[in-house]
Formats: sequence, C-alpha cells, structure tokens
Amino acid sequence: MINFLQNVIDALSLGSLYALVALGIGLLFGILRLVNFAHGDFITIGAYSLILPSTNVVATMVIGSWHWAVLIPVVCAIVVVVAMATDVFVFRPLRRSSAPTLMIASFAVSYMIQNGVLMMYGARPKAVNLWSALTTQVTIGGLREPVLQIVTIGTTIGLMLVMSLFLKHARWGVQMRAAAEDFLMAQYLGVRGNFVIGLAFAVSGILAAAVSLLFLAQTGALSNVMGVPLALFAFVAVVVGGMGSLPGAVVGGFLVGIVTTMLQAYLPPDLRVFRDAFTFTFVIVVLLVRPAGLIPSRSIAERV
Amino acid sequence: MTAMLALADVEVRYGRLVALRGLSLEVGQGEIVCLIGPNGAGKSTTMAAIAGGVARVAGSIRFEGTELPARKPERIARLGLSLVPEGRHVFGTLTVEENLRIGGYMRPNARESAAALERVAGYFPKLKERWRAPAGRLSGGEQQMLSIGRALMTNPRLVMVDEPSLGLAPLIVDTVYEILLELREREGLTLLINEQSSHRILRFADRIYVIRNGAIQLHGTADELRDGEAIKAAYFGFGASVAQAGAPSGAAA
Ligand SMILES: Nc1ncnc2c1ncn2[C@@H]1O[C@H](COP(=O)(O)OP(=O)(O)OP(=O)(O)O)[C@@H](O)[C@H]1O
Ligand SMILES: [Mg+2]
Repeated sequence: MINFLQNVIDALSLGSLYALVALGIGLLFGILRLVNFAHGDFITIGAYSLILPSTNVVATMVIGSWHWAVLIPVVCAIVVVVAMATDVFVFRPLRRSSAPTLMIASFAVSYMIQNGVLMMYGARPKAVNLWSALTTQVTIGGLREPVLQIVTIGTTIGLMLVMSLFLKHARWGVQMRAAAEDFLMAQYLGVRGNFVIGLAFAVSGILAAAVSLLFLAQTGALSNVMGVPLALFAFVAVVVGGMGSLPGAVVGGFLVGIVTTMLQAYLPPDLRVFRDAFTFTFVIVVLLVRPAGLIPSRSIAERV
Repeated sequence: MTAMLALADVEVRYGRLVALRGLSLEVGQGEIVCLIGPNGAGKSTTMAAIAGGVARVAGSIRFEGTELPARKPERIARLGLSLVPEGRHVFGTLTVEENLRIGGYMRPNARESAAALERVAGYFPKLKERWRAPAGRLSGGEQQMLSIGRALMTNPRLVMVDEPSLGLAPLIVDTVYEILLELREREGLTLLINEQSSHRILRFADRIYVIRNGAIQLHGTADELRDGEAIKAAYFGFGASVAQAGAPSGAAA
C-alpha cells in the first residue's frame, strides 16, 4: 500500500511536469493553431541560463547560484524574452500562414535553439546541482518522499490556479480566451491580436521556465536536447486531452504522467524497456474511443 | 456633403476567385442602407473588406473622410465602425457579460465601459436574464441580440449587420429590426445591413443596393424600388424579361 501511494506521488509529480508543458503548448495552439515543438527548447534554455556559457565539461553556476527569490524571476524573464522574440521574428511574419507551415517553422526554431546551445555550451551533457536541499526526504505518515516532488506538485497547482484566475477575470485573460475561440471576431471588436499573441507567448515562457527549474532540480543534468522528450510527451498529452482545450491539456498531462509511471512500476521487468510503446498504445486506444480527445475544445468542434 | 462611408471600385479576391469586382457604394450619416443579393453575391465580403477582415486588391474605402487601412480590423474598430457578422460569431464559451465586455475593453477607461455595459444591457432585457450563461447556450435570437450588443460596446457610429434574419423565426426577426430602428433613433447610429431577401428591407431601409456577382447591379431609395420588379430583375440578372423566365420568385420578393 505504502509502495503504491509512493508510486502515486511519483506519478502526480511527473504528471504535473507534463501538465505544465502541455499547458504551454495548448495555450499557443488555442490562439494561433500553432503546434509549438520549440516549447521543449524554451525549457532547455531556461535550464542552461543558470550556468556560464562555455564548452567546458564542468558547469559553472552563475544565475544558478543566486538566491531562489532572484533566480526564479530572472530565469522566467530570460525564457519569456526568448519566447516573445520567437514570436516577433518567426511567427509574426507567418501570421497568415497555414497550421502546417507554422508547425514546420517551430521545428526550425527547435533545431536552431538546440544547435545554438550546442555551439555555446558544447555537446557533452553537464551535471549541475540545483537546490540539492530539495532532494532530502520527508516522512509523511509512513511515506518517504523527496521534498522536491511535493514542491513540483504544489508549484503546478499554484501556477494552474493563477493561470485560471488570470484567464477567468483579468481583462487580458478574457481577451485571450475570446481570441482563442475566434481570432478574427476578437480583432473586429478591437482586441489587439499581436499583443494578445505576444502575451500568450510570455505566459508559455513562464510555464517553460518553471518546468526547466523543476526538471533540472530532479535530473541534475543539462543536455541540448533535454526539452525534446518533455515536449513530445506533452504534445501527446495535448492530443489526448483535446487539442485547444486547456483543461484537456492538464488532464492529458497528468494522465500521460500517471500511465508512464505506473507502467514503469508494474510492468514485468522484461517489458519495461518497451514502456513508451505501451504508453503510446494507450494513447491510440484513447483516441480511437474519443477522437477529439477527452475534453474536446468547443471552439474547434464548431470549426470542423 | 460627402458620404459617411464610401467604397469606390473595390476589388477583393480569394485566391483566383474574384469576389468583388469594382464595387462602389455610399452610406450617408444617419441612413439605413441595405445591401441585398443572392447567395455568394459578395455581401459578406463587402462588409469584411470594410471591417478589415480581408485584403483589398484595389479600390478605396473611406470612412468619415479618411481612407481605411486594409487588413487592420483592430484599428478600424477604433475608428467607430463595427461589424455584426453573419452567423453572429458570439464567443460560445464566454459568458454573455464577458462577450459584451470584450467590446468595451478598447474604451479609454473602466468607468466609461461600465456605463456602456449598463446602457447596452438596457436595450436587451433578455440578455440581462442570461448574464452569466455561456453565450453558446443562448437561442439564435438571443445570440443575435448579443452580437449586436457587443458591437455597440465598441462605441460605434456606423454598425454593419450581416444577415440579421439568418436562421431566425419571423417574429424574432421583427424584434431584431425593431431594436435596430430604436438604436438608430436613440444612439444616432448609421446602419448598413445585408439581407438575401428584400421584403422586410423595403419597410426599414432608406436606400437599397442590389449586388450580384461581386458588383452593384441596381440602387435606389426604398420608395423608388417599392414595387420590387426592378429589384427582382437585378437580383436574378434577367434584364426586363422577369415574367417569362419563370424564376423562383419567392427568394427575392
Ligand atoms: N474565405 C473564403 N475563401 C474563398 N472564397 C470565399 C471565401 N469567402 C467567400 N468566398 C467566395 O466569395 C464569393 C462571395 O462570397 P460572400 O460570402 O461575400 O457572399 P454573400 O453574398 O455574403 O453570400 P451569402 O448570402 O451566402 O452569405 C462566393 O463565391 C464565395 O464562395
Ligand atoms: Mg454572406
């Protein structure tokens, strides 16, 4: 039982990372019809921003050694600037292009970031030690859990609350939802399209920065492709949840995290190497039963 | 005096399809002008071109003396020109109140937009009852009211309404038109209205344009066109030989 509960917390912790990544991807998809594969690379940038740019194998912390109360806003700001610059220089000129064009452009951005990191920081993965205090374990009613897992779950819940309050009540949040549902109509009513899109990129940047810190604190390793699997699983989560639906992205993220963790824990050892194949089989089954995802977005359903 | 809104030789294309071929029309301050024409004539495209929703290939669109920028819907909205699009396009997942607020955000201050919300709600008591309901749950008539109310929130001087009768029961359509007339009286609005059929329009409009195949075929005051024969001819493009053609006259008449 204790063992199972521990697996549940592991699953929720992984699921919350996926949910945060999926939210960042889902937000841009909702407004722009952009499947932003570069979102994973925003995460990579957030993680690398902590260290001195150099090709040395040994990482030298700069921002990474600052107090968390300074470190977190600075990393958020860096990723937000990168995300918004991507919009201004790549996606804004493509505003009237088709969804496949946008997706291919996001692949290009993704490769550019990966190779840029490669040039500046070298090819070898680097070990970094971020917030090692968080890896200490606490015991709660017989459960021994690393503090980090609880911080991850708590951060995710906190960010999701703030984001849903923003979308629900803030004037820019309401305009963002309107733009996500019917972009041209929102513009006809005076909503500034480019501003709202820029804001969505900024929010997705903050989400990516949060993931980069939580993920790095867990793995302790930097690599120029570290964000790719996160983006891939989150993309799957977005599809499972229902493209364009933010609650769907969250549910999908948690579901993918839970399925992956549980398969890892309970598959026979021989089959564990095929864990991801099982995960994707599960995804295909979900999509066969519910082709529009678990929580389809109304606006998309109407569009089709 | 120059017209409030003037289109001259406007041309719009969708890829290789020419949707508007040299269209010209004028709307004077305080008028109700109606654009009627069959399916695919270019009525919606005309309004989209004015509101900045599609790129204009050629021609000029002037509103209150200034040339409107092409494809800048959010700037055009700020000039006092608002669109109630075909099919209403309410934000279905947003509440009635949020739908209305969207239109008010570009007003300079919150107090003014709150006052506007109060005033607009006054015209639509039905909406007031559904204030917190998602707009997607409203009936077609209520959505049409919401779409008109939302346009009012932007503080327009000219409102374009694309097929207000589309998919609504005749009684509801009457209500919609009554509200539009009331808005002209009380808010001093100028109206440009698209319709597929002329029968209601002849009662409400000051002037009528008939559009077919992307160009204006006929225009005149409602009085001049009262008997409907000229409209029918222009609408179907039969010239004078309407009677012999045995056309499905219901559509235009
Ligand atoms: N987005 C678009 N892409 C391609 N062609 C379009 C588009 N919108 C309209 N068209 C075409 O342009 C022409 C004019 O269409 P428009 O919608 O302006 O006509 P309408 O008079 O409003 O018709 P209806 O009474 O059916 O609303 C039609 O041939 C239509 O098929
Ligand atoms: Mg139309």
